[in-house]
Amino acid sequence: MTAPAWLLIIGAVVTCGGIVVSAVPQSMRTGLAMQALGVALIGAAGGMVVVGDGSVGSQFSNGFGPTVGVDPLSGFFVASIALVSTPALIYARGYLSESHHASAIAVTTGAFVLALVGVVIARDAVTFLIMWELMSVAPAVAILLVSRSAETCRAVLIYLGSTHLAGVGVWLSMLTLAHLGVFTDPHSLAAQPMVVQSLLAGAALVGFGTKAGLMPLHSWLPRAHPAAPSQVSAVMSGMMIKVALYGLVRMLFEWLAPLPAWVAPVLLGVAALSCVAGVLYALMQHELKRLLAFHSVENVGIISLGLAAALLAASAGQRQLAALAFAAAMLHTLNHALFKSLLFLCAGSFQTQVGKLDLDRLGGLLRTMPLTGASFLAGSMAIAGVPPFNGFASEWLTLQALVQLALHGNPTGTALGALGAAALAATAALAVFCFVKVVGLVLLGPHRQKAVASSHEVPPSMTGPVVVLAALCLAIGVAPGVVLGQMGHLSPFGALPASAVGITLAVPGSGVFAPVALAAFVVLCAAVLQLARRRAGTTAPSPMWICGQVPDSRLAWTSAGFTKSLLLVLTVVLRPRRTVSVELDGVLVHSVVHESEVPHLFDELLFRPVLSRVLAASRMLRRTQSGSLRAYLTYLLVTLVVVLVVVRVGVG
Amino acid sequence: MRGNVLAIAVQLSGLVLAPLLPGVIQTIKARLQGRVGASPLQPYRDLRRLWGKRSVAPHDSTYVYRLAPSLSAAALACAVLVAPIGASTIGWLGSDMLVLIGLLALARFSTAAAAWDPGGGFSLMGAGRDLMFSVFAEPLLLLAFVLVAIGSHSTDLVQMVAAAGDLHVATLPAHWCAALAFGLVVLVETGRQPIDNPDTHLELTMVHEGPLLEYAGRDLAMLQWTAAARHWLMLVLAVNFFVPMPATVPWNLLTLALGVAGLCALVALVETSLAKMRILRVPVLLGAGVATCMIGLASWIAQGAL
Repeated sequence: MTAPAWLLIIGAVVTCGGIVVSAVPQSMRTGLAMQALGVALIGAAGGMVVVGDGSVGSQFSNGFGPTVGVDPLSGFFVASIALVSTPALIYARGYLSESHHASAIAVTTGAFVLALVGVVIARDAVTFLIMWELMSVAPAVAILLVSRSAETCRAVLIYLGSTHLAGVGVWLSMLTLAHLGVFTDPHSLAAQPMVVQSLLAGAALVGFGTKAGLMPLHSWLPRAHPAAPSQVSAVMSGMMIKVALYGLVRMLFEWLAPLPAWVAPVLLGVAALSCVAGVLYALMQHELKRLLAFHSVENVGIISLGLAAALLAASAGQRQLAALAFAAAMLHTLNHALFKSLLFLCAGSFQTQVGKLDLDRLGGLLRTMPLTGASFLAGSMAIAGVPPFNGFASEWLTLQALVQLALHGNPTGTALGALGAAALAATAALAVFCFVKVVGLVLLGPHRQKAVASSHEVPPSMTGPVVVLAALCLAIGVAPGVVLGQMGHLSPFGALPASAVGITLAVPGSGVFAPVALAAFVVLCAAVLQLARRRAGTTAPSPMWICGQVPDSRLAWTSAGFTKSLLLVLTVVLRPRRTVSVELDGVLVHSVVHESEVPHLFDELLFRPVLSRVLAASRMLRRTQSGSLRAYLTYLLVTLVVVLVVVRVGVG
Repeated sequence: MRGNVLAIAVQLSGLVLAPLLPGVIQTIKARLQGRVGASPLQPYRDLRRLWGKRSVAPHDSTYVYRLAPSLSAAALACAVLVAPIGASTIGWLGSDMLVLIGLLALARFSTAAAAWDPGGGFSLMGAGRDLMFSVFAEPLLLLAFVLVAIGSHSTDLVQMVAAAGDLHVATLPAHWCAALAFGLVVLVETGRQPIDNPDTHLELTMVHEGPLLEYAGRDLAMLQWTAAARHWLMLVLAVNFFVPMPATVPWNLLTLALGVAGLCALVALVETSLAKMRILRVPVLLGAGVATCMIGLASWIAQGAL
């Protein structure tokens, strides 16, 4: 056996040991440390496979026996899981110390991470589906361990419901592919009629798309992710939805290829909708974790834009462009995993200090929690796609892929590429808007309640992981070419050209993007200007200018206020609801109650009507279940007669 | 380094020459309004005066507030050095059009985040409006860039500028649509009427000036230079892309100078003849720009199909 295989086995054993140890409340912290170590070893194995291009274990098989193996694509996802989960598990040592059911949550977290790894390294349909179900159930358990309020139970119900409804698509496509023998011979599908191929592609898109949180199938995501404990949220948003994308990538690029022509444009449309609408709804949220969950929808959209561009380019025979788009999607997968888990972990730290994460009730946390605050700021800049952080690097690549598709493609490619690029540009601007708001309301300004003013920095076990994640975000942002260079074996379209994987990045048809020089210049220039600024003398303190009035925290700007102008412009699309009731006491105004909300239109216009129809239909069906013995005897008789008639007449 | 040394010297001197552009626009505007107005060098005098004063920071503000002016000035300095002058560029910082969008976003992020630090209503009002405009202006800028890139089939700014010198490109309808869209982006990015009024002293109507409200001294000097650098960047790019230029060096620099001067006059004329729009109407205008780009795109696809 090779070194990665040993590492994988040792890592899995250590993680399992860690799970057992953490089941005992007294040794929970030791158990979590063991879990983190085990997951890091597993990740190292994945990383070695990616860099070395030596597949480990068995190939995909059509049988039902449990088989596992790691090829470069699996290795990349295993390494990404470890990069997110190891900090999250270390963080949990501090985060869970004062929580109820701490050891149960620790066990669930470990099992969840192992299930994620299991999905990615499964090499047969049955193992894949078992791990898939385990991956879906584990977060639900973790959520219910934290809280059993009516709202949480409802969120879990919706999460499990949509996961299992969509799971039909996953089961259907995986089992059919195993039956047809596609896992060992990709060409066997070409013999099937077009309808079967289209149905399989549709089932895969719905099944994996729901789990990935693609719009309009995302409804569970902003409910489930905020309810989980922070380290589980981090892994859910960071990696669980990416594992669903892993399944989608396998389906679209390996097993179902060449795809029916409708798949790529549909995926591009869904992706563009996910990124624009995801960030737009994120912008209108007033609770931090819910806002972050909507941003996951946005980022899955960005990744899918890259995947759709790769499919379009591949179908037009532009393999080099397809390789670029695929690499962009993979790099954004890694980047989003890093900055989203960073943001969720920071949100957890804020929660331990402040309680609720209502955006309008925080403020000034950068002053009381400098390390967590600075990491959160870095993560915000990364997710907003601002150079020199990693979000910009992968968005540059994705935009570049779409623009090149527009410039060099056929008419379809031109139109879709330009539209996708415009959608991504709007998304980037909206993300800047959103994270300026988040940074402002959470980190800056006056403290908006007493609990915030008395907050203090969390222990090193919780700051350490977020600082490391922030450093990784910056490092990949400065040297994306180095990471891209290691990812050459992932793509079914061959490696990127040498010019795209160096210190500077340039793809055919693009200019040079020099992240190191840009970062160095901006930092150096800003540092010189800061020094010049200091030389003018000490900064004079002054009160803020509000036309000479006394500052009052009740007059502070709110989340809704900052985004009001955009809401007014997009009223037609977002349809905000606003009620103002004025209570008069004679002629004096006694009280004014103002309520406003931005309804989630996907729920109201799409899911609620469908749900009410389904419920109405099931009520109709229930009438047949009267409970009367005579009715059931009649059913039996009717069934018997029908069967007899069928037998007599014959079928077909 | 790519291209001519003289042109690169002009590119570097953009860092110094940038404040001249708002000064020239103000002077022309004053003349158009029948006033004598200040000298075109007035921005330099303002900068010198501000540079001599120390900075002011509201109570409880953090390093985000103190870093923002230097960071946005650095981002814009970087952008000025990325944008080529007549197909020549210093080249160390790259030459891709999408990098410019990122650098503008960095500057916007840092000033808008800094507006939250003191938490003043006027700064936040301006920052929120600026970000709201950017939601529509950024896709517009990207689409305009894409339409310009048709000429060279490349997103490399140097090649884009070189291809724009070709008279054949000027006959493409897509190029004209790009010019219209880019004109709108110029007005948004530089904060000129009818989008924003740079001369306003009323806090309630401020957009780009709003987040600058708390700053003083050297901080304010950096932010004012940043605004001037935005003028330089956008106007130089506009002339580079949409004025067919001779390929040889002294002549294209001359064309560039004349073109930028012409555009300054045009901006002044627009400012004099148009009142500021209602803020909520601006996205409609920018949306019309996006529609124009779509028409350009369609025309290009049709041209390819014929």
